[in-house]
Amino acid sequence: MSIAIADPKMMTSSSSGRSLFRHTFALTRRSVVGRLRQPAVLAPAFIFPLFFAALGSASFNKLASDPYFTDNIATSFMNYAVAGAVLQGVLFGSTSAAGDLATDIEQGFFERLLASPISRTAIVLGRLVGSMVVAVVQVVVFLIIFLVAGARVESGPIGYIGLIGGGALLALAMSALMAGLAIKSGSPEVVQGAFPLVFVLMFLSSAFFPRHYMKGWYRTVADWNPMSHIVEGMQGFMNHDLSASQFAKSWLLPLVIAIISIAFALRALSNRLAAS
Amino acid sequence: MTQAPIIANGLSRYFGTGDNAIKAVDGVDLEVHQGEIFGFLGPNGAGKSTTVRMLTTLLKPTAGTAFVAGYDVVKDADKVRRSIGVALQDAAIDPLMTGRELLTLQAVLYGLSKVAGKNRGEELLERVGLTAAADRRVGTYSGGMRRRLDLALSLVHEPTVLFLDEPTTGLDPMSRLTLWEEVKRLNAGGTTVLLTTQYLEEADQLADRIAIIDHGHIVRQGAPRELKAMVGSPTLSISVASSETDEARLILARFGDLRPTSEGTLGVGLARGAEDVASVIRALDEAGLKVRHLELDEPSLDDVFAEATGYRLEGADAANKPVETEAEPETKKSRRGRK
Repeated sequence: MSIAIADPKMMTSSSSGRSLFRHTFALTRRSVVGRLRQPAVLAPAFIFPLFFAALGSASFNKLASDPYFTDNIATSFMNYAVAGAVLQGVLFGSTSAAGDLATDIEQGFFERLLASPISRTAIVLGRLVGSMVVAVVQVVVFLIIFLVAGARVESGPIGYIGLIGGGALLALAMSALMAGLAIKSGSPEVVQGAFPLVFVLMFLSSAFFPRHYMKGWYRTVADWNPMSHIVEGMQGFMNHDLSASQFAKSWLLPLVIAIISIAFALRALSNRLAAS
Repeated sequence: MTQAPIIANGLSRYFGTGDNAIKAVDGVDLEVHQGEIFGFLGPNGAGKSTTVRMLTTLLKPTAGTAFVAGYDVVKDADKVRRSIGVALQDAAIDPLMTGRELLTLQAVLYGLSKVAGKNRGEELLERVGLTAAADRRVGTYSGGMRRRLDLALSLVHEPTVLFLDEPTTGLDPMSRLTLWEEVKRLNAGGTTVLLTTQYLEEADQLADRIAIIDHGHIVRQGAPRELKAMVGSPTLSISVASSETDEARLILARFGDLRPTSEGTLGVGLARGAEDVASVIRALDEAGLKVRHLELDEPSLDDVFAEATGYRLEGADAANKPVETEAEPETKKSRRGRK
């Protein structure tokens, strides 16, 4: 049997573009399938955010009796907690995706990919897009659970898109950042070791508690913490009428971080390849 | 393509710089001919894998040039990758995916259409005997199954040049034989194969020509038979009745130098090679001597290796004993099992 494959001499830039798409799609599929086949890794990204949301709702439910909270922040603490759950879930998921990339490097699958005639960018993009797909599933699952539990998306149908898109872009930003670390270190342990820092950053934001009620250095850190603004954009979709600022915070801000993070990841890849 | 499929000139790779640089590969010259199996033989750390990694574009040479399938491994790396199949010793196979999924992925990465990829995958699964296990996750495969899948993955795009880096290391004898048969079949179909190995028998069985690499240098290169012939003549050992020993010794001396052998036997290095065996027997018979035992020992690749490097790669008793050679025997020692 004879197989028709691309002749090395006939490759053009347009065929390279098509190849990039095809390779990215194939590697995205591998990334998602790999995640689904590791339930022990995937489960915490769903369970922990719901646990923290339930804990927060039980602990801080009294806030809902404060008129400032109900007038300016959220219609209920459960409605407030949705965005925090999304943020936490996406951070878990993105770290796992980057950990898988580091495992590929450590165990040699990365080398197999490098030995094949694919765009080096596709190797990274496959992981990032895979992370976005998982994030979309996470946000949809969280929304279903919270809606069943009594939450409401006050900004209407566009708000759903806002939340899902925000979650996907946040996944892109965080997985690119962690992927850069994974490529630089080539060690899953380093990626996992960096996660607590991200986790601390999340607790120093308004993911679980409104900034309005914070004081001192805690408030200052939360004010400067990009996670506060991203999560507040998402909280806006859940609790207020639709506005451009919600998109600016939950879409534009992660997008800017994603661009910087992707540049970092690709630079790390370039350095790794140059060193070989 | 008129050019040899693999050519390397002065190929070198150093790790580190200055006086502390480790010369993993230092000035390797190679020419692998169209349609041959070329064995790259050496112990761990000799520079085999580093050479293969440069030839497969995974590592940039510090110095020298290399052309694979007619393309420069540095300037035309992507074209080289499209033309070659690679099964690396340390390239993992994703344990979470099934054999069929990995073949499908590989087909996409090499630009095959969906239908062509599917058909090729099925064909290869059958060829390497993995059809029944195709939908099982690779994590459940044995070492031999993984190697066979690895080989199948490297063949998805029908490469003209195939690199196999220690393809049978760690495999049981049966799996090793199965893989050898597959490599021979591939080669019979016209695929040029470069395989690295630390097993002398593997090189002897499979390779049309071999190169022995040691400390980053190629120390011998040629067909196994030629290399063995260079080491020396075969040794014929015979045993006769003790009363006939002196007469037998005189007869044997006509055919070459007498050599020490085990007690009770006489040995001679046959100057004209194995073809003299019949003449020796005839001469002994004409003298009325009765030969009780006869044995012909050809030089082995291990002897070639020992002669070239000063130590043995394999072998029970000889493995750890330095061998007298002209090449700085005092500085060499056995590196068997070295990592």
